[in-house]
Amino acid sequence: MTKVVIIGGGWAGCAAAVTAKKAGADVVIIERTDLLLGLGNVGGLMRNNGRYTAAEEMILLGAGDLINICDKVSKHVGVDFPGHKHASLYDVSKIEPMVRKHLLEMGIEIMLETRAVDVDINNNVIGGITLHDDTTIYGDVFIETTGSTGPMGNCLKYGNGCVMCILRCPTFGPRVSISMKAGIEDILAQRNDGSYGAFSGSCKLNKDSLSDEIVKELNEHGVVVLPVPVEDINEEKLSLKVCQQYSLKEYAENVILLDTGHAKLMTSFYPLGKLRKIKGLENARYEDPYAGGIGNSIRYLSIAPRHNTMKVKGIENLLCAGEKSGFFVGHTEAIATGCLAGHNSVRMNKGMKLLELPISIALGDIIAFANDKINTAEGLQRRYTFAGSIYFDRMKERNLYTIDKEILKKKIKRLDLLDIFDEKLV
Amino acid sequence: MTKKIIYQCIDAGSDYCPCYLAETNDCITCYHLQGKEFCDCSWRGVCIFQEYNWNGKRAKIARENFSAKIVDKKIIGDNLIIFKMAVTKTFARHLKQPGSYIFIRDINKPDYFHTPMSIMYADDVKGEIHVAIQIIGTKTKSLLSIEDEIMVRGPYWNGVLGIKGLKTLKNSNVLIIARGIALAPAVNILRYLVRNNNKITLIMDKGKFSETFIEDYIDESRILTIEADIISEKGKLIIKELIRNNHYDLCFSGGSDPQHDAIKRFLDQLSPHTKYVITNNKEICCGEGICGSCSMKVGDKTVKACKTQMNTSYIFEKGEE
Repeated sequence: MTKVVIIGGGWAGCAAAVTAKKAGADVVIIERTDLLLGLGNVGGLMRNNGRYTAAEEMILLGAGDLINICDKVSKHVGVDFPGHKHASLYDVSKIEPMVRKHLLEMGIEIMLETRAVDVDINNNVIGGITLHDDTTIYGDVFIETTGSTGPMGNCLKYGNGCVMCILRCPTFGPRVSISMKAGIEDILAQRNDGSYGAFSGSCKLNKDSLSDEIVKELNEHGVVVLPVPVEDINEEKLSLKVCQQYSLKEYAENVILLDTGHAKLMTSFYPLGKLRKIKGLENARYEDPYAGGIGNSIRYLSIAPRHNTMKVKGIENLLCAGEKSGFFVGHTEAIATGCLAGHNSVRMNKGMKLLELPISIALGDIIAFANDKINTAEGLQRRYTFAGSIYFDRMKERNLYTIDKEILKKKIKRLDLLDIFDEKLV
Repeated sequence: MTKKIIYQCIDAGSDYCPCYLAETNDCITCYHLQGKEFCDCSWRGVCIFQEYNWNGKRAKIARENFSAKIVDKKIIGDNLIIFKMAVTKTFARHLKQPGSYIFIRDINKPDYFHTPMSIMYADDVKGEIHVAIQIIGTKTKSLLSIEDEIMVRGPYWNGVLGIKGLKTLKNSNVLIIARGIALAPAVNILRYLVRNNNKITLIMDKGKFSETFIEDYIDESRILTIEADIISEKGKLIIKELIRNNHYDLCFSGGSDPQHDAIKRFLDQLSPHTKYVITNNKEICCGEGICGSCSMKVGDKTVKACKTQMNTSYIFEKGEE
């Protein structure tokens, strides 16, 4: 039996668990907090722009489990907002228990409040993961999905300090880079000015603190656009954030709210005093991060060098996914990379050739494109998402973007990849 | 297999953290405060780097000397004093935790007479602490003449190593072996373990004293006490048989390093799962990680024993110094 140990229970880790399990492995997820999904607990935005294509591709590849759950708990579908089309907004208060239930029903073991602190490694082969209590979890193949956000010292040195986000480092302890512990240097993102890391791209307001009109509009349409007072427009701030797909002029001149259960504010942070000058937000307060008026978490400080199969370079039995595997933005991107890593973990253990997705589909192309770019100086300053910025432009150029499910189905069939992640390998 | 030893600072997250070590990039816990670029600590609590920045990039206020009133002084034989002293209830409360110690000296003597002394008993209702002192050298001899007042600095906590296992232990079976002056810290540990409903067997060895001086501090209805000379063959046999026949979750050794080694060998042989906690015998001089007199090598790293906690198995595995 192949035992796959996944470090990090965010979207990428959950996706890897699903496909590793489908391929026949014994799967355990180690998660330091008391919730799966990590930042997905305050996310919600799916299927906007090219993410629609990616979601459909995953379903066709046989890894639609998590996409289907997101669809099922979506409060709004087909939402358009500046620069974005046909978004779905899942309900952040419903998603985690549903994903957890699905994973448990599949027979995936979940170790919560369990923090990985080190690796046992010999001749570039990982034997086990050392936990905070000095015990060891042994396995055949390991998948690192620890992300790249925080911990507190990094958020202070490269941001505005800990602003108390959903990751809750003071409670559950800091994130640890497993690949770094195994002796592989992390790759770090840079901002346009060359400084390290980037701010997370959105914060969330408590919906009950907003005016009745805004709440009504959010409930009905899923989106509200409110103009920023002229004296408060700050275009410079756009370059700070990670989500370059929202680095548009509209996002400096307006406050854009999306209904994900919270009111998702599409900016890294926004001083509360200024926010309350906007009509309807007079009583607004932050839900995530709690100090969203001051700053946001700092990300992209811990990327592992990898192959397009998601295998980490230099270690025989370690794969990676999610933000750990590149400067990716978003849940869809995390799930996509996670699916491939989970499937390949079983191939790796069986000595089979690892699967590399073709660049004729969006999933394969973004994985390869982000990997090419990370080796360039300019690439360290870019982020990759199906939802916008340079990668969505590329999708359109290369004719990868479509919302026509039939076209996608024909293509995936032609590539002989239909339901490939659903196949049992052992 | 390579494995990183996890070091913890006993003061991390306390009122005294960050300390002077942060100012010189020598923090035991924080990678940023060791002069490195990125986080890599295992501290689970509010970030020390953040605290340091909030504090104006300075150490927090250090422990200060104060004069404490002597409530009672008892001289036993020719080499043991027990001082009972009045302190604030808060100070006493800080010293209730196992491994607590303070620095004491004659008020009229200079600072370098300060000597670390384990807390035997701390009463946070009355505001009183008790220490037992073995008279050995210049520092301790100078304490003999103290009658009314004594200079105190504290609280300090790293008097025992391996404390993590001890602090979380509940409803378990414990063996405590203490000899000579180490009977004093054993009392503080015993009382802590009894509060957590642990079952305790205590082997007491009076060592070089005329009597075991801790009877007044232990509740014999809760603790099985055995008096023995643990250096003798018979004493060793008692320890071995107890370990062999009881399922001990934790063993505490209070005494010399050779004693720690001998008991460790018994445990390895007869009960390898038992957690092992020992008195910290390094020569502690300032207690703040500054002077370096307590340095010891664990694994490939030199650590300051006055502040650093680790699983004790590393100390024995890799050999000390």
